[in-house]
Amino acid sequence: MTTQNIPKIMKQGSWVPWLYLLPALIVMSFFIVYPMINTISLSFGNKDGTAPASTTCVEGKPCWGIFEDYRYALTAELNFSSAGALWDSFWKSSFGNNLKWIILMTAGTVGIGLAYAVLADRVKYEALAKAILFMPMAISFVGAGIIWKFVYDYGTKQVQIGLLNSIITSFGGKPVSWLSTPGLNTLMLILVGVWIWTGFCMTILSAALKSVPEDILEAARVDGATEWSTFWKVTVPIIMPTILVVITTMVINVLKLFDIVYVMTGGNFSTNVIANRMYTEMYKNFNVGRGTAIAVVLVLAIIPFIYFNIRRFLEQEAIR
Amino acid sequence: MNRKSMVWSLTSLFTLVAILLSACGSAATATQAPATQAPATQPPAATEAPATQAPAGTEAPATQAPATGGIDCMGAQQGDEISMLYQWSGTEEDNLNKILAPLVEACGIVLKPESSRDQALLDTRVKAGTPPDIAFYNIAQLVQYQDKLKDMNDLGINADNYLDSWKQIGTVNGKWVGLPVKTDTKTIIWYSPANFQSAGYEVPKTWDDLNALVEKMVADGKVPWSMGFESGDATGWTGTDWIQDILLVTKGPDYVNGIMDGSIPYNDAAVKEAYQTYGKWATDPKYTVGGAQGTVSTAFLDAIYKPFADPPEAMMVKQSGFAAGAIAAQFPDLKYGTDYAFFMMPGAQGIQIGADWMMAFSDKPAVKALVAYLSSDAGGKKWAEVGFDLTPNKAGTDSYTDPAAKDKAKLLGDAAAVLADLGDKIPGGFGSAEFKAISDYINGGDLDKDLSDVAAAQAQALGK
Repeated sequence: MTTQNIPKIMKQGSWVPWLYLLPALIVMSFFIVYPMINTISLSFGNKDGTAPASTTCVEGKPCWGIFEDYRYALTAELNFSSAGALWDSFWKSSFGNNLKWIILMTAGTVGIGLAYAVLADRVKYEALAKAILFMPMAISFVGAGIIWKFVYDYGTKQVQIGLLNSIITSFGGKPVSWLSTPGLNTLMLILVGVWIWTGFCMTILSAALKSVPEDILEAARVDGATEWSTFWKVTVPIIMPTILVVITTMVINVLKLFDIVYVMTGGNFSTNVIANRMYTEMYKNFNVGRGTAIAVVLVLAIIPFIYFNIRRFLEQEAIR
Repeated sequence: MNRKSMVWSLTSLFTLVAILLSACGSAATATQAPATQAPATQPPAATEAPATQAPAGTEAPATQAPATGGIDCMGAQQGDEISMLYQWSGTEEDNLNKILAPLVEACGIVLKPESSRDQALLDTRVKAGTPPDIAFYNIAQLVQYQDKLKDMNDLGINADNYLDSWKQIGTVNGKWVGLPVKTDTKTIIWYSPANFQSAGYEVPKTWDDLNALVEKMVADGKVPWSMGFESGDATGWTGTDWIQDILLVTKGPDYVNGIMDGSIPYNDAAVKEAYQTYGKWATDPKYTVGGAQGTVSTAFLDAIYKPFADPPEAMMVKQSGFAAGAIAAQFPDLKYGTDYAFFMMPGAQGIQIGADWMMAFSDKPAVKALVAYLSSDAGGKKWAEVGFDLTPNKAGTDSYTDPAAKDKAKLLGDAAAVLADLGDKIPGGFGSAEFKAISDYINGGDLDKDLSDVAAAQAQALGK
């Protein structure tokens, strides 16, 4: 061995990091970047990508030229005849429903998850209690959808096979058609989502709770704070970063939500969501231009939350 | 510690390699027949002794045609393969294998079947330029892939065995692209002759008779109809079948064909009237089990059972021919003809059908042999004998063994006109718009808005 010759690897050029990144970059560009670019270019085309979207305009109808597919994606479900009609149709559209999902499901999963984590923290059978709440996570969305479809089943006889309706009828009430009553049905679907995802939020929040230093809590108690104010003024601020991460994760999850709606109502009776609408356009109507336009809208809606999540993550890293 | 991390990095490396390999290999593996392929139909002679094994016996080895019972191999060689994609599985697949067995035996064709109910699979294949040789699919696919499909006339079809209206449905822009193989009648109403008899009801002959009968049932305190929309993401199709059947009564086949080619918009007055006629029954608990919520929430299969339950929840259900099988499976003790039977929608001037179509992406000899066989007398007879629903092939008319199938075939044979389902024939988003409209209307939505939505989808799809 020569001593003079320093191994080349010690004085690596600026290209070397790229070399290490190469496998990841290849995989990423093949599976993410290329499909993304292709999706965007298809969203400016007609139903099979053979001509620009502007050719699909119908005379005498509103037309956005090359953005015609986006016009469809954004306005087709809305009724612009009056402000009241617009308001009503918005809340029946997939965008309105997605908004309901975001607000209610995120609040439900994080709220219940946090409450459950705090309460379970104080009991001896904590592991068991948490396992029970976490269990639905192990069920696929489709499976959960089918299970809950039975729970919500509406029969035409007084004897009901649906759990919820059989409880109601056993008290002499009239059965309710949970999944086809507009307004009520989306709430019932959100309940299923909450049932599945609460365990996930609970686990992460519970881990964060465990990391709250006991001495700070002790100090607060010594200073005479009640349990209530200790929780809101000490515990919650400490675990706030985790709560925010859980919230943004849930929002991203909810925006992409598809399975529950597809299985349980097929998007009928004003329960449609953006992802299901995308599937319908793409694989039932075989309208690639419109399907991809809806997909792009969905991605654009998700990007702010991803950005927020990454920024929080970087801030945390900086602190550490 | 070190060891552990090495194990992990090795694992992830393997995973990565596996992902890459499967991604690259998918094109090659995808065309291979899956586990569902039918072993029964594959002649054992495919690889060993291919040329010498004459299927019909030891004599007449030189010319196959006379020895094959009238099956024309169209130049297909022993061991020629046909890749095919269809939506059938289980018994359906067995039926198809039984039907194709004579052809396989005679010509030594090897079938490479794939079964999937996912329409996206076929679509992906076709777009990727690797379609199966043939596919058994719906009318919608005939329209969608019309440019890539071969003309049946070039594939040796025996056109004489099909009514003109079948040819008309299978013809897209002047090219006959689909061979109808399996069909079912839609424009029929199922009832219990026993229940009708005990209540003193008679099978209605005209639309007015039906109306009077319905009113009589209501007056007697009975619920005339059982209706059920629920069918996953296709919820509503039983309703749109109803609408089209009512249009066949009130307006006739030319009108329905007008909607199909776009000359009549879907929000035309007669369509609205049909919705209202239907809606009067479908939303009222006096006329249908459970009223509007019963209609939209009941699964279409459950709706079939209700008139035949004990005690019956309703008197009649309008459903396609497949209801016979559903009733027989649910109530094994009931007998066709006395406990359940059907009558044609009274006054209908044509029969609405649902059908599976054979479409060919290839014109190789083996495919020609298949088309020739299925459209031949022998093929039609065999199809009816096996009893895989009905065959549109005229030659099969007298070969059915199942009494219900016999009656359905007679109805179909006597029909003044045969019409495709509007939602099947009009491409694009029309079908789902139609489903959505009827579901929304029955659920209390605004009919004019619903119909204009469908009309917009119709105009878009047909370029009018």
